[in-house]
Amino acid sequence: MTDLSQRRHGLETLVGAHGDREQLSATVTLEIRAAVRQLNLRGDPGKAGLRTAAEEALGQALPVQPNATTAGPHTICWLGPDEWLVLSATPDAANVATALEQALSKHGAAVNDVSGGQVLLHLAGSGVRDLLAKGCTLDFHPRAFAPGACAQSGLAKANVLIRLDEDGEAFDVVVRRSFADYLLRWLRHAA
Amino acid sequence: MLLIDCPWCGERAETEFSYGGEAGITRPKDPAALSDAEWADYLFMRNNPKGAHRELWNHSQGCRRWFGIERDTLTYRIAGTFRLHGKDEG
Repeated sequence: MTDLSQRRHGLETLVGAHGDREQLSATVTLEIRAAVRQLNLRGDPGKAGLRTAAEEALGQALPVQPNATTAGPHTICWLGPDEWLVLSATPDAANVATALEQALSKHGAAVNDVSGGQVLLHLAGSGVRDLLAKGCTLDFHPRAFAPGACAQSGLAKANVLIRLDEDGEAFDVVVRRSFADYLLRWLRHAA
Repeated sequence: MLLIDCPWCGERAETEFSYGGEAGITRPKDPAALSDAEWADYLFMRNNPKGAHRELWNHSQGCRRWFGIERDTLTYRIAGTFRLHGKDEG
């Protein structure tokens, strides 16, 4: 497993002057979190033992309600009835994929490290909900988008996964690496 | 803009979905036994009703699952959405 702490996300030319943190506007800050490992997990949750095995390997349960996340050592987002994204910033994140794969191999599940293919943008500040609403059809009102919820949708036409943290203050936006350059420019412009 | 009630994600905007044609078309068990006309009917011929229409949709920007919608082709009113097979069917 490669060490993600020193990993280049390929956006240096775009964010070079600002580093990985950038003030998009007076009310929104952006941070590119390249060191968070992203694992895609697919498997049938109805199959006996899969959820228990995953819970043992990860130290927390898989969310089975649509558009929910669970917090714990990692953040696990629901992507579909048989698909999850594990976001892991723990020091031993590199070993999580191996452990998970070993634990789930006999349950017909697939674990893939997609850290290189996706970029995690962390957006914080009082203006974030308004900013996202400019390019997305989801309702970002606190009444509709609750803390800990996640949703996949389009942001400025790019496919994204949007998650609101447990405090209800900052959003994580996961986007394909190839769309990150475009989305970053759009966010800057829209903010 | 239509609001489509995805059986998993709930109500989302139409732009998150893609259309997949008429629902309920099953592949013949033994294609070799069909005449050309019957095969062409299975491949190409679709109903084009004015009124209720059962059709396939994919939540392509969301959970990426296929599901069915019953929609009125005249008024665009959606009578309901349904999962295609078992409740966990992808």
